[in-house]
Amino acid sequence: MTKIVVVTSGKGGVGKTTTSASFATGLAMRGLKTCVIDFDVGLRNLDLIMGVERRVVYDLINVINDEIKLTQALIKDKQLDKLFILAASQTRDKDALKQEGVERVLNELKAMEFDYIVCDSPAGIETGALMAMHYADEALVVTNPEVSSVRDSDRILGMLSSKTKRAIEGGEPVKEHLLITRYNPNRVEGGQMLSLDDIHEILRTPLIGVIPESESVLQASNQGTPAIHLQETDVSEAYKDVVARFLGEDKPMRFTEAVKQSWFKRVFGGK
Amino acid sequence: MGESKADLTRESGGRKSASRTGTFELKSRRFSLLGLMLHSADMAEVTADWAARIGQGGGFEHEPVVIDLSQVPRAAAPAAAPVVEGQAPLALDGPAPIDLKALVDLLHASQLQPVAVAGATPEELALAHELGLADAAEEPVVERAAPGAATETVREVVREITVEKIIEKPAAPVPTLIVDKPLRSGQQVYAKGGDLVVLAVVSHGAEVIADGSIHIYAPLRGKAIAGARGDTTARIYTQSLEAELLAVAGIYRTAENPLPADVAGKPAQVYLQGEKLLLQPLPT
Repeated sequence: MTKIVVVTSGKGGVGKTTTSASFATGLAMRGLKTCVIDFDVGLRNLDLIMGVERRVVYDLINVINDEIKLTQALIKDKQLDKLFILAASQTRDKDALKQEGVERVLNELKAMEFDYIVCDSPAGIETGALMAMHYADEALVVTNPEVSSVRDSDRILGMLSSKTKRAIEGGEPVKEHLLITRYNPNRVEGGQMLSLDDIHEILRTPLIGVIPESESVLQASNQGTPAIHLQETDVSEAYKDVVARFLGEDKPMRFTEAVKQSWFKRVFGGK
Repeated sequence: MGESKADLTRESGGRKSASRTGTFELKSRRFSLLGLMLHSADMAEVTADWAARIGQGGGFEHEPVVIDLSQVPRAAAPAAAPVVEGQAPLALDGPAPIDLKALVDLLHASQLQPVAVAGATPEELALAHELGLADAAEEPVVERAAPGAATETVREVVREITVEKIIEKPAAPVPTLIVDKPLRSGQQVYAKGGDLVVLAVVSHGAEVIADGSIHIYAPLRGKAIAGARGDTTARIYTQSLEAELLAVAGIYRTAENPLPADVAGKPAQVYLQGEKLLLQPLPT
């Protein structure tokens, strides 16, 4: 049974594409057949982050417009044979995303027995974002620990519970997961960032993970490698935890304590 | 249901159950309508205020509304308009008519259905007829006649109803609207005619509106508008008062004016005493 997961946020620049890339890669690393689709038509980035921008010949819009077959547009990842990328068109705009077309593409992917389809949503609350979330079974809502991002996530959570297919048809609601990215425990202690508790108090959505703020994310994007591939980094470990929790494993939260404190703990024999 | 003597089909014996002849009955009926009291003749000002207080959506579900112009300040035009030297004074015979067309468009945009005008000048009335609006005469009671059917006979009927004003429609119990999911930023819920109960958080930027009282068994961080149709006895109750805006029967308070420490973030109720909005802690 194929599951469709939307990665969304409302606000731009919070880490949706980084998360889509690492999350989809993480699922494929577990041996799950995964396709990640870039819904950011006109501002495509996912192919860059995935390091396949030179291999994009056809894109999502070509498939939606029935110009080519889906299999021609699917780009297979170089490292993981279970991972496929469907790029967005750079020359079109969001109006090219037609609902019937999107549904047909998703159904064809289901027929190809994908385990997971990860939809990388554009920022905003317009057509692109609505199309990306419409057929979702689960949602990763990406939030930065600051007020405007949290407010926008709140808006998106509202749309997930009212504008999606599941909401409209009155079925089981879309399962929501909160993912906090660019978390810097030191700055939280200093009062410059919202804490996990603050964010939970506002959004009241189950937390699936915390990705620490890190230089390695930038490094990964520049290299065209999903951050989860950067072995031994906090970011990679954090994304692996997210994938594990998503698949139902119980993992304690990591990277949420200020560095000073963990050093303190180490010295005094704490864990 | 306030039937009047204008029941044309009633037989002389007055047994209205006896027989119904014909395909329709023309009866005078009383309907509860929204009234839009205009306090300014400046449509630009009204439009801006409307956008600020009602917003774009509105979500009134095409409710009928009567435009009441009786409260518009009618400055004597010659005095108000400074007459420029050498320029012919314009419209000295009365105040400029209100731009009803713009007002009707504004209401339509918010899913309101204007049906009539009250307190209009003859000039405005002519404009109203052009726009398909009926004349609601002096009294705020309005016949929900088809647009354009505002003839002499209708006016007669309206008068007759006012005599029977005492016959109040027995208040049919309106079921309480219960919301059990969080109301997120940008979402709006309106409990028409009754109370609203919310069992989850009302976020910043969300709006809860009820004609009756509002009960929130969680933090209230957005806007809460109770007694939306003027019920001054409506109240707002919440487990944690953190609202951006509180209003009862049109009297409101925004977060610009910080909540007193004894209610901020605490269980509280909000109600009207006269013209004053009172915030009172609830016993815990």
